[in-house]
Amino acid sequence: MSSKKTVPYVLIMPLLLAFAIFMIYPLYKIVETSFYKVSFLNPTARLFVGFDNYRWLLNFKVFNPKYSYFVTALGKSLIWVAGSVLLKVIIGMAGALLLNSKFLAGRKVYRALVIVPWAIPWAMSSMMWAWTLNSQFGVVNSIMMKLNLIEKPITFLSDPTMAFVTTMVVDAWVGLPFMIIMFLSGLQSIPDTLYEAAIMDGANEISSFFKITLPLMKPVILTVSLLSLVWTFNSFDIIWILTRGGPLRATETLPIAIYNTSFRLIRFGGIGKASAMTVVQVLIVTLISIFYIRTLEKGEIR
Amino acid sequence: MRRFLTLALLAILLVGLSFSAERVLKVLMPIGGGYTIEDQEAIAKEFEKDHPGVKIEMEFVGWEELWDKIITSIGAGAAPDVMYIGSRWIPALADMGAIIPLDEYITPEKKAMYYDTVWNTVTYKGHIWGVVRAMSTKVFIYNKKLFEEKGVKIPANWDELLEAAKKIYDPDKGIYGIAMCGKKFVSTVTQFQQYLYANDGKIVDEKGDVVINDEKAVKALEFYKELSKYAQPGIVEWKREDLIKLFETGKVGMYIDHVHNARRALEKGVDVGFFLIPGGPDSDKPYATVIVTDCISITSQSKNRDLAVEFINYMTSFEKQAEWDLKLGFVPPMVKEKDLPEFQKWYWKPYIEAIKYGYPEAVGIKDWEGVQEAVLDAIQSVLLGVSDAKTALDQAARIIEILQK
Repeated sequence: MSSKKTVPYVLIMPLLLAFAIFMIYPLYKIVETSFYKVSFLNPTARLFVGFDNYRWLLNFKVFNPKYSYFVTALGKSLIWVAGSVLLKVIIGMAGALLLNSKFLAGRKVYRALVIVPWAIPWAMSSMMWAWTLNSQFGVVNSIMMKLNLIEKPITFLSDPTMAFVTTMVVDAWVGLPFMIIMFLSGLQSIPDTLYEAAIMDGANEISSFFKITLPLMKPVILTVSLLSLVWTFNSFDIIWILTRGGPLRATETLPIAIYNTSFRLIRFGGIGKASAMTVVQVLIVTLISIFYIRTLEKGEIR
Repeated sequence: MRRFLTLALLAILLVGLSFSAERVLKVLMPIGGGYTIEDQEAIAKEFEKDHPGVKIEMEFVGWEELWDKIITSIGAGAAPDVMYIGSRWIPALADMGAIIPLDEYITPEKKAMYYDTVWNTVTYKGHIWGVVRAMSTKVFIYNKKLFEEKGVKIPANWDELLEAAKKIYDPDKGIYGIAMCGKKFVSTVTQFQQYLYANDGKIVDEKGDVVINDEKAVKALEFYKELSKYAQPGIVEWKREDLIKLFETGKVGMYIDHVHNARRALEKGVDVGFFLIPGGPDSDKPYATVIVTDCISITSQSKNRDLAVEFINYMTSFEKQAEWDLKLGFVPPMVKEKDLPEFQKWYWKPYIEAIKYGYPEAVGIKDWEGVQEAVLDAIQSVLLGVSDAKTALDQAARIIEILQK
């Protein structure tokens, strides 16, 4: 092998190494653990159980006689993620358009402000929201009561359905800045000349949005929403701090359920079962991502 | 090259020496619920001063995350030497082999210092697994002004309790009869247990049989739900630790809490009174309270057991214990403490009196965290009107029965 061929490999070696240590090895460990019954105290003493942990995913129905613990959590996760990502994309796009508009005074100020939710540690913003939405002291309820919009405080976090929606919205709020910034940079890369030409041809604002902005933004939207999809699927801290998966397991999405299985349901669950859940989650997220990329790519080539 | 090697060896030796000169004791401590980092660190500093060459490395974790932290650090083989735990966790930790029995380290004198009930809370399978550091009983704290305004007398039974809450309840003015909690957290279980015990019910009886769905328990949960109609809205999002914020605004008739929060309300100018938790219709006892203790245990991974024992004894000497209880506002677990002048104060009296009506929170429960989840689900589903008390508790009993096996 000539040195010309080895040099690139040597150069990317550190990256490959890091990739192996931080990605491949942990993933391998999880897959391996998912076939064992693991004792917490003594992780080296393990019992090979084959696919038992995977069967458990479908059989464990102590909390809900109809659907297993895993299936329930997965179902919740899918709805929760879809809702949150949709909110992020739609509001993110609207926000980016607003910040990109030439008529908005003080654009720079708003652009800086928009970063704030992203800059606050997630745990902190969750705590903040928990108090903001509190039905007794919460400022949201207080304002709405004073404006006579509602008669009784809304129980944002204590009603199961409401809590599900609330955690979703808070998650969207935290993820929005990233979306807005990415969309904004996408919008700025669209040359003004295109819009000028469209106006000449008699297009109005709406048709130029659908005919110019949206098609040109497609790659950005694809990448950003895919990233957001994966992140949101793994979102843990926001729900954990706001509701700890409650009330009545209403917000027990897959990450929360995996956590509970490994650390809290010590008799029912365990690391092995939690690993099996994780493996399935990784597979599902990967499949969704592949499907997603395929469909959008198809639309691109046409 | 050789010179370099010698130097390197010397350096390694020096580093090694400087480490071994200090004996390090790793201690895991909770914060919140009355505990502050400053208080805990002060103890460590004092111990270090009295024991040259010893370094106390304290790690702090909020109560909400303490169990998870314990489990993960044990699983990772990085357990601290000494852990501060809720005594309710002893059976699970002991069964895992995570903590060691302390029988041989506890002298008869030490044993005689505490109430027998106190030792019961840390005994499992005939062994002692921890030294109690904090004990609590709880009683009703009430707002005298509101009681007088509405002409409410101090409740002596459940009917009167409900009547009192009803009379004071005035949501249009933002005044609530009682403050309650229903959030997914241990203190919600304790708060429900107050009524459960008051009605002579239990989660698990002394033999370890599940009785959470018997008639007494069902009645207790039904009463909890009934009372909640006169509580602040959305109690499912409240945990007991936050109720003081509501009570000290002067807009709540009564609620069950620690003495330290009663003192806090007093400081905020609320005219505070106390009454013991009255017994329910199925109980022949006039009052009840849940006795909760926190204790200090030694992990089986600890390589400094003697030092750990020394540290525990230091922390729980009579003087240090009294100082701690007075400062933080906990009920004295040591018999002699109750003679101290401060504990004669009027606001301490009901809490100390309650001890004799008390029953420990977790007797016979093998896996507290699992049981807690099951009971919380039952409480929440009743509070939210998803199911009735009997159905909810039957479901909890089914789960707890598996956990008790």
